[in-house]
Amino acid sequence: MTGMRVTVGYLYPDIMSTYGDKGNVETILRRCEWRDITVGVTELRLGDQLKPDALDLIMIGGGGESQQQLVARDLCTVKGEGIRDAVALGAAALAVGGGYELFGRFCQPERGAELPGVGLFNAWTIRQNAVLSGHYGSISDARADRAIGELVVRWRDSLLVGFENHGGGTYLAEATEPLGQVLCGHGNNGDGTEGVILGSAVGTNLRGPCLPKNPALADFLIGAAVRRRHPAADLPPLADDLEVAARAAAMQRAQQRGRVRTRAGASR
Amino acid sequence: MTVSTARRAGPDLAAAARRALAVSAGKAVRGATRRLNKGNGTTAPGIVTLAIDPGALSGLLAEIPRGAVLVTGSNGKGTTCRMLAEVMRAAGLHPVLNAEGANQRGGLATTMVARADVTGHLPPDADAIGLFEVDEGSVPDFLPQVSRPRAVVFTNLFRDQLDRYLEPAYIKALLERAMRNLPAGAALVLNADDPRVALLAADLGNPRLYFGIDDPELARDGADPTSDFPRCPRCDGELTYSCVYYAHLGHWACGNCGLSRPQPQVRLTKADLTGPSSAHLQIVTPATEATLDIPLPGLYNAYNALAAAAAASACQLPDRSLPAMEKITAGFFRMEKVRVSGHDVHLALAKNANGYTEVLRAVLGDGQPKRMLLGLNDNPGKQPDTSWIWDVDFAPLAGLIPAPVVSGNRAADLAVRLKYAGWACGKHETELAIEPDPVRAFQTALARLPAGQPIWVVSTSVVLWEIRRWLVQHGYVGELWRQQAGAN
Repeated sequence: MTGMRVTVGYLYPDIMSTYGDKGNVETILRRCEWRDITVGVTELRLGDQLKPDALDLIMIGGGGESQQQLVARDLCTVKGEGIRDAVALGAAALAVGGGYELFGRFCQPERGAELPGVGLFNAWTIRQNAVLSGHYGSISDARADRAIGELVVRWRDSLLVGFENHGGGTYLAEATEPLGQVLCGHGNNGDGTEGVILGSAVGTNLRGPCLPKNPALADFLIGAAVRRRHPAADLPPLADDLEVAARAAAMQRAQQRGRVRTRAGASR
Repeated sequence: MTVSTARRAGPDLAAAARRALAVSAGKAVRGATRRLNKGNGTTAPGIVTLAIDPGALSGLLAEIPRGAVLVTGSNGKGTTCRMLAEVMRAAGLHPVLNAEGANQRGGLATTMVARADVTGHLPPDADAIGLFEVDEGSVPDFLPQVSRPRAVVFTNLFRDQLDRYLEPAYIKALLERAMRNLPAGAALVLNADDPRVALLAADLGNPRLYFGIDDPELARDGADPTSDFPRCPRCDGELTYSCVYYAHLGHWACGNCGLSRPQPQVRLTKADLTGPSSAHLQIVTPATEATLDIPLPGLYNAYNALAAAAAASACQLPDRSLPAMEKITAGFFRMEKVRVSGHDVHLALAKNANGYTEVLRAVLGDGQPKRMLLGLNDNPGKQPDTSWIWDVDFAPLAGLIPAPVVSGNRAADLAVRLKYAGWACGKHETELAIEPDPVRAFQTALARLPAGQPIWVVSTSVVLWEIRRWLVQHGYVGELWRQQAGAN
């Protein structure tokens, strides 16, 4: 794959990187390097402009409500248009957790002002209760309102495994395509869907981080990013023994601990 | 007259009887747990006692004549307490300590139950002083029960066990709310280098004693303090650092409002931290200057010693007592050393990203390769998510740990993490052994170990517990509660 080059735009590495989200970026970097694809990371912090034609893959991780408040304005006023343009031009994207919520149209906390989103995905998030508002008397109260646990999702012909921990319910507009169907866990809002996909742009609640244990999703993003400039490129497979073992262990854990969904909208 | 006395004595007698019953029941549970070998009985006895008499914890705490010091924060609570305990003993006090990790309501109550007699009272001891490590989430619950808090020590606030605490901002708000009822004389002992801790409850009039590192040579070049998302505690602005010690700890200032790290009164002015099992420290307090040789390695233990010195200063313990902290022995799972078949086995707990990074750095501070068993376990009720392992700085250590053995119920995740950190491929290709079962992993590691070489077991707690149980069964080490009996 010599001569090929991928540029990753990593949004707010200092702020939106809460649940080992750096692991997603590291996974992209290594899997490119192992294939001799030259890969560079452009870190985009508060105030930094984003050049839509310079980025092949845009990544944003998770963050709590205070972090979301900090980046929401910058996302809308400084970077939003660039992100939408980049994806329209064929760039891939991965938005996880709090970043996924902000890539929708808006994010509504229980109290306080609505946070405007990038509007890349036709989706929105309603938070039942704002953790920082003093609404909760104790930690267990605050936890009770969150979806915390293993999350397994059917995506195309394969399964995605990971962990979810979110207080918001994300709702997709009618024509918006979910990333997949929940087999175990809560997903977007309990309606059986999880995440969103628009071309090569993916939004998801899967953490863990999600790419190391889901190399197929990592390669989907890398493939899309590479093909932006090299349309005929095909990714050679990698030896994924360790990743496959970690997936199997996660699947087993979900079976033992998870609330396994038998049909959309119901769980047992 | 007689009637009214009886009326008054009646409820008192009933309360005393209830207290005695509650404490006796707790003691019975504690004895039974140990006899049946069902663990250390560090939590259940307290829970039983409190179920019968919810006032037992505050009642027993009120019987400690010298009040209590509370130590809380993400990392270093237990070690700071044990260092401070040595200083207190040297000052002629008798610290009442909770067992390490038994730092929530049940565990703290168990400590008091163990110390009380069957009448439900503490044996009289004019020099007794409470010294409790308190889980940061349990501070709001525990603090109001303490009738005479002398000092509350805050070591640091990391993104510890996020799924439990949601985010540091939340735990900070919770702690500040709890501090509002602190008696006026109680001191706040705060890590000046941690912007999340330094300005906690800044509007309170309580005395504030800051500790911090003032040795630029200990600064870590190229460290990224922003990875733990510290923001200005006053205006939420972006922080700049003139010097970073580790994680988000260092000399910080806000570029927006100009707030900066408070000048610490208790300072580490010089340190040699290159030893894998010791540290040489120069600590300056308002009253004295001490040179200490601590038998525990690494920067994080230097911070623990500083916190203990600052707490001692806040409690006005005599200066000559400070060197007593050199007597601290490596606590249970804190680089605890066990001799097994001609090898020194060091057991080191690493329960979060910063802890894991700092333990590895402390052990590898001399740049010499060392054998290790690395563990990772989740804990369904407490810490189901282990994504923080991706925030551990493994990459610079590639090649320094030959043939590592990886264990725990998340061994497969840890192996993937090491692969992507460059450990299992390319020029650092190494033979990674994956064995989820801790005891089998330990046996594998021993079998692969060249004769006489030491090994470090660095892991979250479950793996360490299982290896320790095996070590106890085979007579290499005593049972934990027997070792801690003196402390309790």
